[in-house]
Amino acid sequence: MPDLNPTQYAVPLFVIAVLAEMIWAKFRAPAAYEPRDTLVSLAFGLGSTVAGALLGGVAVWVFFAAYAYRVFDLGAQWWTVWWAWPVCFLLDDFKYYWVHRAGHRIRWMWAAHVNHHSSQHYNLSTALRQTWTGPITFGFLFAVPLVLLGFHPVMIAICGGFNLIYQFWIHTEAIKRMPRWFEAVMNTPSHHRVHHATNPRYLDRNYAGVFIVWDKLFGTFTPEVDHEPIRYGIIKQLGSFNLLWAVFHEWIGMITDIWRAPWRHKLSYLLREPGWSHDNSRETSDMIRARWEARVGAAVAPTATSVADRNRIAGAQEAA
Amino acid sequence: MDLPPLLIQTAGSLVAILALAGLARWMKLGSAPRIENAADASRAAHLVEDGFTPVDSACDAAGAGALVRDAQGRIMVIRRHGNHWAGRVLTPQARATCESHPGNGTIVIDCGEMRFGRTVLTIPDPETWAAAINRVKDAHDA
Repeated sequence: MPDLNPTQYAVPLFVIAVLAEMIWAKFRAPAAYEPRDTLVSLAFGLGSTVAGALLGGVAVWVFFAAYAYRVFDLGAQWWTVWWAWPVCFLLDDFKYYWVHRAGHRIRWMWAAHVNHHSSQHYNLSTALRQTWTGPITFGFLFAVPLVLLGFHPVMIAICGGFNLIYQFWIHTEAIKRMPRWFEAVMNTPSHHRVHHATNPRYLDRNYAGVFIVWDKLFGTFTPEVDHEPIRYGIIKQLGSFNLLWAVFHEWIGMITDIWRAPWRHKLSYLLREPGWSHDNSRETSDMIRARWEARVGAAVAPTATSVADRNRIAGAQEAA
Repeated sequence: MDLPPLLIQTAGSLVAILALAGLARWMKLGSAPRIENAADASRAAHLVEDGFTPVDSACDAAGAGALVRDAQGRIMVIRRHGNHWAGRVLTPQARATCESHPGNGTIVIDCGEMRFGRTVLTIPDPETWAAAINRVKDAHDA
């Protein structure tokens, strides 16, 4: 059985890439980094590794228990079945799309995933801002169908690791667009900037991990427009570089809401979308977008220069 | 003595993290944006809440923040957060106190969120703003 944790091997590459981007930022876009923000992002990455090791046991147990009931059997030496790897990678990315979408639309899961969006910056260190509390949501259950199909949990974990590594490089403002064919099929810096934006037009869009086709297939794709500067982060910016607050703030907010809510609404604060409230005192992303559409209407958006135009590596007409 | 692999990996990662963060500071990455006037305050308010259009504003003397009020009477406090701006539309939980000096004074705003903390601004006529903040009855009534 392969004993491979791809993200573990990728860590040195992550460090080198962040260092390279920092050097680039020094000369081209100093505001792309903020030392305290970077420290919080990197500490998130370290903490998520530790949290995963400490809390991931339940998911592992569930996967191996489910594997006993698999529909198809790839054999005792499942890792030698070459075609199973690309199929598993594709299905795992499909799974990622849905678990990620749920991570934005179900507050229980958002409480864990919001960590990744809590920076107002968008650089390679932001990619490492990974959740500590993911294992205490039900997100891991989205992988159970793959296990029941017959993909070994280790194969799924390895494919998931490569998926995560792919998503690292797309967290940058330095690259404007990739070649058209690549933008059409793959998740790219441009597509993922949209995902991290709080501009109303971009809220809850582009959930893809590796293949952007899932968003196009399920109606959640929005292309980046060049005339509107992107604002990164979350609707209610933290305004704090406190790591523990960044990790737990949404859990605290959610539990407080559940505690204070009338009984018949308590479950909704757990399972409905972030921003939902029983007394309409807050706004969901859909409400914010609707308000923006009503306000802007057919008005022309202000002319501005996109972040990638200001900070690009590649020239104006060339793909980076 | 054999150390657990997770411990070794964690320690190595911690060293790399501190080195990168230290390097970012040494390279003087980052910036300190300023709010110099009403137009700057309006842009920052729009960043904090899409569509927030101030009709009145008071900018911090050091450019580190502002108080703005929209046509509905909502008051927003804005302050610098790293390279960016963070702010809150004030609710009845907000409290403000001020220390006046001739022509200028300091206002201390507690928006009621523990982790957002207090915002200290040096603005003209802080007493009027403090009184308005302490009168806020709900999110749409300042």
